[in-house]
Amino acid sequence: MESPPTKQTTAQATLVPPPPPPARENPVKRFLGRLKASPATKIRRRKAMNAKIHKNLGWLKLLLFIVGYVWMLVIPYPDLGRKTYSDENALQPAQVHTSYNWGDVRKADKYLEGLESLVAANATSERIATHLSDEFAKLGLLTATQAYNLSTTNDLSSGVNTYAILRSPRISGAEAILVGASWLSRTGEGDGTLNLRGVSTVLSIASFLRRSSHWAKDIIFVVSDGYMDGMQAFLTTYHGQTQSNIQAQPLRHSSGVIWTAMAIDYPAHSFSHLGVFHEALNGRLPNADLLHSFQLISRYAGGVPVIMYDHLDWREHPALRKQFDWVTPKWLPRSIRDRKELKTFAYHARNVWRHWGYQARGKASGIHGLMRQYRIDAFTMFALPAVGPHGFHAIGKTIESTLRTMNNLLERLHASVFFYTLTAPDRFIKIGNYLPSAVIVSVAMMFTGLGFWVDAGWERILVPGGKALAIGGKALAIGETAFRGEDRWKQRSRPVLAVLMIMALTHALGGALYTLCTTAVFLQNIPILLPLISLLIFGVPIILSSFIAPSASSQISKTLQALNLSFASTIISITTVLNFSLAALLCALLGLPLALGSSAAPTRSSPSSSGYPLKYPVYTLYALLGYGFLTLGLLYSPNLVVQAIQGGVRDWEAFGVWFVPLFCGVYVPLVVQAGVVVLLA
Amino acid sequence: MSATTRTTTTTKGLGVSLGATLSTITALRICLAFTKDVSTYLQYEQLLSSPLTSYTRLQEGLFLFNHDVDPYSGGLFYHSPLYLSIFSTIIPNSRFIASLLWTFADALGAWALVQIWRARQGVSSPTSRDSLVAVSYLLNPYTLLPSLALSTSSLENTLTLLAIMLASQRLHSPSLLALALLITLNPSSILLLAPVLLLLAHPTGPKSNLASPSTGSVLTTPLLKKTVLPLFAEFFAYIAVLVGASALTSGGWSWVGQNVFAGVLLPDLTPNTGLWWYFFTEMFDHFRPFFLMVFTMHLLIYIAPICVKFQHDPLFATLLLQGILGTFKAYPTLADPGLFIAMVSVFPEIYSHLRHPIVTTLLHIHAALLLPLFNHLWLAHGAGNANFFYASTLVFACANGAGVLDCLWAGLRVGIEKLSTGEKASEDVEEEWTVVQE
Repeated sequence: MESPPTKQTTAQATLVPPPPPPARENPVKRFLGRLKASPATKIRRRKAMNAKIHKNLGWLKLLLFIVGYVWMLVIPYPDLGRKTYSDENALQPAQVHTSYNWGDVRKADKYLEGLESLVAANATSERIATHLSDEFAKLGLLTATQAYNLSTTNDLSSGVNTYAILRSPRISGAEAILVGASWLSRTGEGDGTLNLRGVSTVLSIASFLRRSSHWAKDIIFVVSDGYMDGMQAFLTTYHGQTQSNIQAQPLRHSSGVIWTAMAIDYPAHSFSHLGVFHEALNGRLPNADLLHSFQLISRYAGGVPVIMYDHLDWREHPALRKQFDWVTPKWLPRSIRDRKELKTFAYHARNVWRHWGYQARGKASGIHGLMRQYRIDAFTMFALPAVGPHGFHAIGKTIESTLRTMNNLLERLHASVFFYTLTAPDRFIKIGNYLPSAVIVSVAMMFTGLGFWVDAGWERILVPGGKALAIGGKALAIGETAFRGEDRWKQRSRPVLAVLMIMALTHALGGALYTLCTTAVFLQNIPILLPLISLLIFGVPIILSSFIAPSASSQISKTLQALNLSFASTIISITTVLNFSLAALLCALLGLPLALGSSAAPTRSSPSSSGYPLKYPVYTLYALLGYGFLTLGLLYSPNLVVQAIQGGVRDWEAFGVWFVPLFCGVYVPLVVQAGVVVLLA
Repeated sequence: MSATTRTTTTTKGLGVSLGATLSTITALRICLAFTKDVSTYLQYEQLLSSPLTSYTRLQEGLFLFNHDVDPYSGGLFYHSPLYLSIFSTIIPNSRFIASLLWTFADALGAWALVQIWRARQGVSSPTSRDSLVAVSYLLNPYTLLPSLALSTSSLENTLTLLAIMLASQRLHSPSLLALALLITLNPSSILLLAPVLLLLAHPTGPKSNLASPSTGSVLTTPLLKKTVLPLFAEFFAYIAVLVGASALTSGGWSWVGQNVFAGVLLPDLTPNTGLWWYFFTEMFDHFRPFFLMVFTMHLLIYIAPICVKFQHDPLFATLLLQGILGTFKAYPTLADPGLFIAMVSVFPEIYSHLRHPIVTTLLHIHAALLLPLFNHLWLAHGAGNANFFYASTLVFACANGAGVLDCLWAGLRVGIEKLSTGEKASEDVEEEWTVVQE
């Protein structure tokens, strides 16, 4: 039986003895012998198997990487998903006769007139809030205003929220539904477009609901000031939480536990579709039942088609084809480009891409996103601006019917899924069909890391034929025939402590980066300070690594790469459940780049070759991947980079979006570690 | 993350004297406890305190007790009556005092662990490893966090270490008293009784005999009769006294069902890091007694084989049984596996024989991140459910199991290693290689 030259695990660092020459036996005996092998044979077999795995590890890793990445790319493929369905029987979507009528539309128009005159008169927030509160009071609702201040390192915003509570006529309002509208529309992520029609809708819905008596839950109407800030102030106060940078007036009236909520965003004169925005802070999502119900209600009770975000389905609007050219480029032959599956794929891909953009950065796509942290399932209905055909009547009916569905709930939404990817308003992908992609990539990274770990524990020494070898102070005479001119493996200890120190140092560097990023000085002088800081992060590892003795460095490099990959893999596989888009982003940025690390370095078989010519270019590439891209971005579009950093820091300070701390404290250090691996290789 | 913290301090602790390490960390702990009220955040964490060790439940029990209501009459309080008597008489019951008490208990535990290490080495003077051993207990996140959460499992850990330390120092009666106190406070620690008795009876005590498994067998009839039996009798006497004291304190026997049998009857299904709660939430009620018996037997079944196999080194048997307790007991907290991990630092001779330390470490990192995340996802965020958290406790059990198994294997392997090099040195290389592998 041939035993491959494997790595042996003897305690004393020793040599591979050759296997004994296979004895010639008859086949039956051999077969029986296989079943009842001696321990030595068993060990040899196990070693042979381990050697085979180790030898083919490269292929296995490659296969895993390919499968993982390809899977990620085909997530929008229609057959991976399925139609949405309603899991909670109590919901009964679109099963009621709606009675929101043209009289209510008339009222909404009146409210709108009032608001428009205030805006024309350039009224202050306080004035507007008082006006809104007066209007609610006229309806006989409990109402009050709430002034707030939200201060972040670089920014101070203030405003006045208005809220009103319709007490449930039937039950003691232990639960509540929230109907909200922010003063600023989500158009352009709060670029200043006013949501006047959204606010008018809330008022007219309030006056309409006043007339009916079948509500089993309190209904809270909130008109929050600003885009997200007002709602954050309202929600933290409502839930009795203190956020150190928010000063808000206490709420004079309160209600029960809010189970579900909807935000109304209606910025233009008329609309053609209702868009669903559902991403909450830090990649959380509302229960899928809610979105499915809304989709049905809007279609059947309101008569308005539903879209994802503000994405029109280009299969119905061929004029929009241009927007999909990045998925189905023009150079593709017509026969392929016009295939139905590919068209659907392109449409889904655009939705998934938008979703990943919100989720990976942890951003909320509207005020609904602030509610998930309080276990409120919420979404924003966005009235897509168009010349027609829908207006207050359609949105009013849709809201009424949605409220009836929310009112039907006997317990919190829990039956359907919280982990999904919507590819179209009525199609979604279950967790089992997208999550494995990132997990497979992280497994490939783990295997790569463990492979390096094994490598780091072994040293290859070239044995000149027939010479005595001195190892561990003990000279062993080795038979000439057995060991002529082969290489041997010697076990060596891994410098784990030193490597962990390096890792801790890089994370400390990340911590320092985070501290710097959140100072006012930095945020006001990003174009000057960002390159300086990047240079610092670039320089520190070079200087520090020069202190490491060259004899130890390759060993440290291998071990560091092993632990770096294992840690990155752990981070990714755990993130998949919490925030798949972020995990996918990390897979793309860390997966192959970290695994390839020192593969450009000279192999151990030629240790004589001095140096590693590509060391600094590769290190620079890592620097670019980790943090340098921001500095590079400054050259092209300074404003974009400055806004991105300021926005990210503000999101963290105001709403607790984890992206910036994660970037500084985990992502940058991991890439810096990969750079150090190259420096030491 | 946890690994990095541990090592930075490890290197710091290498050259520093034990006294300096203990006092620095204790001072830091006191600062931590008072600058920001950490324990208020942590005391409700299910990972850090079980129903049997929770500080808030202890407060509830004390309140009822001080107002002349039997705290055991409701289904809320499972602590031993001794806690009631201690906190209502000797130690004033305040958050401030509690923070100090828990900090000093940790320091005492670390000191005891260092004494165990010295006893095992047979030295009484400081060694270079002292600080490392102390740090592995004091800054181990698994033991540090429950202590910050004021979980009584930290006090029980200290008692465990004290009992083992006293046994290592051949102080029979104090050791048995500490052990009896421990078992009264936390009956599932009964697993440690056999190895501690063996440790007291063993001729070479805590010295490392892993390398020579054929020597120092203590399980002979005369030795058992002459030494172990009297020790057991003494232990039993202490238990009787403590049980009497408990009965006097609580003025009845209602605590027996709530405290002594809590680990067997599983009255409270609050989730914890262990493997019991989920099974028993899912189970049909009429199967409950049967499975309670199976789970309890499963826990007890390890005692005999481990004590027999490692009769030459009872301290190592204690380590393994502590590992099994941390993995399989009914109401574990992070402190139980934490104690096992800290105790591993006393056995450096097995390190080079561990087969998969990196896999165990990675499993622990995964589990340490997943446990709080899934617990939060289920109970705070509401998006997950019990299955998520249960899955993470399974990962944690795998991590603990891998640790125990690897230690077991390495402990046996040390003996074979020495056997082969010592007795078969003259034989040819091939022979040696083969034996070494097995």
